[in-house]
Amino acid sequence: MLKIPDWEMTIVWYFFLGGIAGGAYFTAAIADNFGSARDRAVSKVGYLLSLPLTLACGILLIADLGTPLRFLNMLGAFKFWNPMSIGAWGLGVFGLFSLLSSVLSFSTSQQMVGLRRKLSLVGSIFGFFLAAYTGVLLSATTLPFWGDSRLMGALFLASGASTGMAAISLIMFLGGTAAGEGWGKVKKADRYSMIIELVLLAVFLGLLGSAARPLTSGQFAPLFWGGLVGVGLVIPLVLEFVGQRVKAVAALGAVLVLVGGFVLRYVVLMSVQA
Amino acid sequence: MARTLAMFTDTSLCIGCRACQVACKQWNELGMEVPEWTGTYQNHTHFTDQTFRLVRFIEEPKPTGELAWLLMSDVCKHCAQAGCLEACPTGAIYRTQYGTVDINQDTCNGCRYCVSSCPFGVVAFNASSGTAKKCTFCNDRIHNGLGPACAKACPTESIQFGFRDELVARAQKRVETLKGMGFKEAQLYGADSNGFLGGLNAFFLLLARPGTYNLPDSPKLPQRNVVVDSLLSIGSAVLVGLGALLAFRERGQGGGDA
Repeated sequence: MLKIPDWEMTIVWYFFLGGIAGGAYFTAAIADNFGSARDRAVSKVGYLLSLPLTLACGILLIADLGTPLRFLNMLGAFKFWNPMSIGAWGLGVFGLFSLLSSVLSFSTSQQMVGLRRKLSLVGSIFGFFLAAYTGVLLSATTLPFWGDSRLMGALFLASGASTGMAAISLIMFLGGTAAGEGWGKVKKADRYSMIIELVLLAVFLGLLGSAARPLTSGQFAPLFWGGLVGVGLVIPLVLEFVGQRVKAVAALGAVLVLVGGFVLRYVVLMSVQA
Repeated sequence: MARTLAMFTDTSLCIGCRACQVACKQWNELGMEVPEWTGTYQNHTHFTDQTFRLVRFIEEPKPTGELAWLLMSDVCKHCAQAGCLEACPTGAIYRTQYGTVDINQDTCNGCRYCVSSCPFGVVAFNASSGTAKKCTFCNDRIHNGLGPACAKACPTESIQFGFRDELVARAQKRVETLKGMGFKEAQLYGADSNGFLGGLNAFFLLLARPGTYNLPDSPKLPQRNVVVDSLLSIGSAVLVGLGALLAFRERGQGGGDA
């Protein structure tokens, strides 16, 4: 009989927040490098959001260890084929980029802005990594469903993107900077991410076939179909197309996307370990 | 590296006395656990942080309708390609000079990735030490010229300890003997170093298909898909990135500043 690792709520939160941190950062970097001056609010919110979340990620990961004081032992080895090993390194490096980009996001000097843009392109690689590696980590286990999932990393990445963008748009809405063009663009990017996520989820389930049963039937099925597919993806997409002129409706959509992102990590982790 | 050591468990000789189970507990100072009623003679049911060796009691229906005992003393397989060792991010799980797999209790930080990476469900987490535990192949004993406690205690030589190459040769002969005696399904499990997981350094002689003993027919290294899964993730990153690029470039281009 195979054993479960008992990765519970701490790790659910870590996967969720890590996805948002990575997604918010690369969204910020794309807005910073390829958007217009009016998109500056998007990149600033994205950079500044990724920093506390990355810090929280580190704390969650350390707290979940059996012997938290030995967390630095993770950096005593580097195994590039091992998601847990490169994950610890990747999170640390990403945190560094997040910190630098956040500090530089306050500068208006041309030189500093140029530096920030270049840095963020490299940092984005680590942002993508942070959003995706947790999925690959699960698919590199011997447990049924996790180990059978070839698209877990791809799916987590798309979810990291959609939740990161939703978080940026929600913060802009709450902070009163949802008036500009940037907000509309980040909402649009979020729509694209959600559509990609929905398609990936369908392929993910198709490839898994009966191995997806822990998600698609049984005690976690209502949460999966209702919480992730319904509340987290389909309803926000419908709201986007129906109510995109009404900002409050769009903000509600962003909240639902965040709920969906959390439900995804929750059902994936807990269904195998229930 | 020294010559590879191994344990050969010949299940055809096991009488289910559990001397191995007790010797393991005593030598390794493993605590007591509350027994579990499962409707069989087997106890304990699973490997835990306190149980590194256990005798499986399998009742297999014969064609005549009677039940036959299949007894198997099970243990960590000390795989030549070990999922737990590959999964360990701290390097606490290591291969000894004798080819066995051990966990350094002073550097393990309790991330539990090894627990979900063992194809046999062997590695277990110990909450009080905050570290992962499993059979050490009596690392302390083998480094002092003694065999593992379980092999030493076995009264029927069902568990044999020695150099791997010698044990494999002996095991192959034993399979032939058993087949000659009418045990048609007698077979070795994990003896072939070109077989699954590069061979097991604790290998077995079984009297039925591996599945009968709840062993996987062809266990696989969990890390085998990391490259494919990573490439698929990169594909997803490209899609998502292009989507965001499209969203931010539209109309923004007209703005003239970038």
